[in-house]
Amino acid sequence: MFANNNMLDKNKTYASDLIPRIIPCLDVALGRVVKGVNFKGLVDMGDPVELAKKYEEQGADEIVFLDIKASVDNQQSALDMVYQVATHLSIPFAVGGGIKTINDVDKFFNAGADKVTLNTAAVQNPALISQISTKYGSQSIVVAVDVNKNDEGELAIYTHGGSQLADVNYQAWIDEVVDRGAGEILLTAMHKDGTGSGFDCDLLQSFGANFPVQVIASGGAKGPQDFVDAIVAGADAVLAAGLFHRGEYTVGDIKEYLLNNNVKVRK
Amino acid sequence: MNQVNSPKTKVAIIDLDSGNLLSIQTAVEQAGFEMQTVQKPEQLDDDVNVLLMPGQGRFAFVADQIDALGWRKVLLDWVGAGRKLIGICVGMQVLFESSEEDPGAEGLSLLSGSIKRLRHPKAPMVGWAKLNSYKLSMQDQYAYFVNSYAVPDSEYCTAKVVYGDLFCAAVQKNNLYGFQFHPEKSGSFGRELIAYVCEQ
Repeated sequence: MFANNNMLDKNKTYASDLIPRIIPCLDVALGRVVKGVNFKGLVDMGDPVELAKKYEEQGADEIVFLDIKASVDNQQSALDMVYQVATHLSIPFAVGGGIKTINDVDKFFNAGADKVTLNTAAVQNPALISQISTKYGSQSIVVAVDVNKNDEGELAIYTHGGSQLADVNYQAWIDEVVDRGAGEILLTAMHKDGTGSGFDCDLLQSFGANFPVQVIASGGAKGPQDFVDAIVAGADAVLAAGLFHRGEYTVGDIKEYLLNNNVKVRK
Repeated sequence: MNQVNSPKTKVAIIDLDSGNLLSIQTAVEQAGFEMQTVQKPEQLDDDVNVLLMPGQGRFAFVADQIDALGWRKVLLDWVGAGRKLIGICVGMQVLFESSEEDPGAEGLSLLSGSIKRLRHPKAPMVGWAKLNSYKLSMQDQYAYFVNSYAVPDSEYCTAKVVYGDLFCAAVQKNNLYGFQFHPEKSGSFGRELIAYVCEQ
């Protein structure tokens, strides 16, 4: 389904100078970057502004902050962090986690965020996608789609950090996200996440070059070749966390590798 | 960053209630300029010598705000007197005559031409593209774009980018500057560009 520019020929190749983006993702709790997604045993990794600046200096094209404790946290710490990031970074950034209403969204944009990321709230209240898109424009909203493949090879959508099966059909949900005006889909293949076996390139390829919104590949990056494969499969951007935070690769290392494999990136 | 510029340069950022101004304010401050943010022309300090007009959202909204807040004649006189005006994103688009986005809305017509929708299936254009520019300040630099509409080629074009069609990523006519991309979000290149253009 092509909600935008439906006068265009979907079989044609359109010229574009846009280059694939590399996006480090930071998990934040109580205003600190943390490691581990369980509420217990969070390891403090440092100050979000300092870490984001480090990645900016390495050549990150954008940063995503996910406030993993936002639902149980005082939202003020998240808003303070957004303001600090906005006044210290010179690249775009998105924030997500715990957003439920347009009022939450207003607060994040007023604090200086460029984009918000929705997952559970989008599934529970799809009208919120339309509200944000109408008020702030499609470019301001990223919908995170957590997808898992069962033993029969069927795709299913999950919410609540991947813990709950959502009562929506995969393809119908993708179409609805686009029709309601999301600017980007952050696609996490749960069956690949943490396996170190790369992104789900077949799934990425299924979107096609003329899919009407940008697709960010997430989940499964183990090394630089996985970035090449995801981009060749059609990802407009690649998001990764672990391999950057553990210091295995800098953003610069990944970009160097991409350039050496004929993928144009910003250096 | 934190260059110390001539104390004579004072930048006024025009607040048309069209998007968050925090990044552009930060960029101007970090470049070392005096800065004020104004909604109406009567708030302008006497010593302002650069006007910076950011804009997000629809062409008609920004054009209407220019009228509602009393800027139209002030901007035309300002540019007519050879003083510096910098438009960013939709703030660049309204320097032209009109837009396919809102056919009834009137731009400032400081530059001739009309804004067109970009013919690419993925809209809006969001992300980084390399500038094709003869200007040393922009040559081969990567800039961050967020737009569905743009100015097709113009005689005052100083940087070009392709997204479906070729469009004008930057324009300059004497002291009138326009940037379709977001210099305040374009990393160290963008921050240096803001410092350079305001100071020139």
